Amino acid sequence: MAPSQAAYAPSLEKLLKSLKSKSLEASIEDLIFLLKRRQVSGDECANATAHMLLQVVARSKWHDVDQLLSRIQSTGSRLAQAAPHEPVIGNIVRRVLGLIRDEASEDRNADEFMSESVSDLQSLPPSAPSHTRPTGATPVRPALVPTATSLAVSKSMFNLLSAAETADSPMTGASTPISQAQPTSAHALRSEVIDGIEEIMDEISQADDQIAGFADIQVHPGDFILAMLPSPAVERFLLKAAAKRRFTALLASNGSYISAVGEAPYAALRKKLNAAGVNTVNLASNGLLAYMPRANKVIFGAKAVYQSGGLLVDSACCIAARAAQEYSKPVIVLSGVYKFCPFDPSEEVSKVDLGNPMTYVSYGDGPAVDALEVENAVAEYLPPELVDVYLTNLGPQTRDHLGSIISDHYKPEDMGLSLLINEA
Amino acid sequence: YSIVRAYHELLASDPEITMPVAAIESLIELLRATPASTAMETVEVVKKEKARLLDSAPNPLPLLAGADLFEQYLLRSLRGQTAAAADPVLGFDETRQHLLHNKLLFAQRAKAARDNIATWGSRYVLDGRVVMAAGGSRAVTKILLRAAADTTKHFKVIYVMDGSPRCESSVAALRAAGLDVEIVGPHKVAYMLKDNSQINLVLVGTEVVLQNGGIISRMGTYQLASLTKLVKGSLKRFYVAAETHKIVRKTALAHPQVLRVGVKQKDISKFANLGRDIDGEAARDMVPDQEEVDYTDPEFIDGIITEQGVKMTTQIWEMVDDYI
Repeated sequence: MAPSQAAYAPSLEKLLKSLKSKSLEASIEDLIFLLKRRQVSGDECANATAHMLLQVVARSKWHDVDQLLSRIQSTGSRLAQAAPHEPVIGNIVRRVLGLIRDEASEDRNADEFMSESVSDLQSLPPSAPSHTRPTGATPVRPALVPTATSLAVSKSMFNLLSAAETADSPMTGASTPISQAQPTSAHALRSEVIDGIEEIMDEISQADDQIAGFADIQVHPGDFILAMLPSPAVERFLLKAAAKRRFTALLASNGSYISAVGEAPYAALRKKLNAAGVNTVNLASNGLLAYMPRANKVIFGAKAVYQSGGLLVDSACCIAARAAQEYSKPVIVLSGVYKFCPFDPSEEVSKVDLGNPMTYVSYGDGPAVDALEVENAVAEYLPPELVDVYLTNLGPQTRDHLGSIISDHYKPEDMGLSLLINEA
Repeated sequence: YSIVRAYHELLASDPEITMPVAAIESLIELLRATPASTAMETVEVVKKEKARLLDSAPNPLPLLAGADLFEQYLLRSLRGQTAAAADPVLGFDETRQHLLHNKLLFAQRAKAARDNIATWGSRYVLDGRVVMAAGGSRAVTKILLRAAADTTKHFKVIYVMDGSPRCESSVAALRAAGLDVEIVGPHKVAYMLKDNSQINLVLVGTEVVLQNGGIISRMGTYQLASLTKLVKGSLKRFYVAAETHKIVRKTALAHPQVLRVGVKQKDISKFANLGRDIDGEAARDMVPDQEEVDYTDPEFIDGIITEQGVKMTTQIWEMVDDYI
């Protein structure tokens, strides 16, 4: 790009700096632009989405909870649809929606507590936390978000016989709005939600460090760790482990790693690891299977984790996982909880994200390879059977527990968002 | 009041009803027929009649699913608990009134559940692919009809005619909606699945869902599920469409699983009745041949499509775990 243009080139940093000065709609448009052009990708999307939603809460005009929810939903959907290959965006949108519902019901509960008699508190159901929301303690009618396209989903088995107006059906316009019960103070809610979103942003930024905190337990002395396409999260993990353990890191990559001319891939990481006393071995993609019998465990990061335990990963991690299975080596996946998607992908093949084939065949060689179609898969779907441990910022998890983590972090009312934004 | 007769009348009169809901409705009618008395007495009557109803059925599991749901709802109101997080707290009398007055509402909700299942399930039906369905399940038919209504999706169906009385009508309904449906017998399933990259989805319904995420359904389902997993070729996923009211609090632990969870079915593995047909008393108690069921392990099931969304088999346990 010409130097004079570079100064005007949009980037996430510039966008974040200019948030205060631009109008809200213009900022949203800028972010959509960046997402579509893939100038913001991977883990950065989560942070960017959180920033943008915070702006929506802070700066747009809304008077009650339902308005806010529908604003967030519409902005969130636009962002998610701008980058369908990044499921993290939808996750953050759902987290914010859930946060708003929580804050709104806390306000309502606080007011109810003041005015209702003590006997109503006896109605606290002692059933398992996964069934009840804290809001269910009071006899107030439940909320169903009145957006026509959201799927109101409740988790109780007894919906069939329930005396409450549980409209499970998606497209009903007539449902009880949250704000009907109690006029909530928009101002107080605004500041609480903003605090909550800032907490989410903290969680995102600290996730990698928290995951690295488990490094010394997962890495044993003398281990040979095969790290496939080490992402920043994996790098931090290895470095934290290097501080406490003597091990050997096998750094594997595929041909797509773009490095300075003459330098081996991951040179910076190798230097740091060597400085900490850890031997490193660089594996080219075709060296993977040869070294697999030697490795003790395989580690890589994920872009997203689905409800079924399947993953969206950088391409080549699939090969590593499959090779690991062949040699019975454990596969550990590093992923913050914010990457957990509360839905089951409808198709694996659509997850294959194709990228620039120039890393393999230069456009200059075009005529020579005219008969070939060169596809560069950048991201792929990894089936759940190939993963052993999901190492999250909340600790190591197994596939069976993903359901409870997902239900802890997302509200059932927002699960239907997948249908709205047409996530596969 | 004969609860067994009421149950069978309900099943016969309404083609859309499921067995658990018919059990619930027959229990509601029992409430109506029982003179109002103390809460404990009512619960005792319900327990007794529930046992009678379950005894009358060679395969009591679907009835157990509905009857347990009903009984738990009553017991919770007795304890002053709410059954669902959203519920207002009703006293026992109010609960009884609520159940008696809203019988139609419950039936409607049960049928609406199939619509929700159709919304969630149709996501898995993809453009340009083939779906394999079996068993005559009404929920599965609804899923396919909903997907057919989406003009951006063009797909075909292979229907396995496994002897269910509803297979014919399901195929007819799908063809009437403009879908290309081929029918095959169960022996042709492996042949059709092998190396077929067009088939991406195998859909079945079920009579009950067990607490561990496995299902007890029409004989042949387990065969279909295992073949889906084992046959080489492209990835195919096996999904079960079931409303949450079909979840029953039982787990199949060891062989013979179907018999251990309470289904009275012939066990030919013992070779005890060679050449002779069981008749008379014994035959009446057993599940007839054409309604035999088998057990499918949760590891063969990729997801259970309920009206509350798609549940993984590991998520079923906690849904019924806090029954009193």
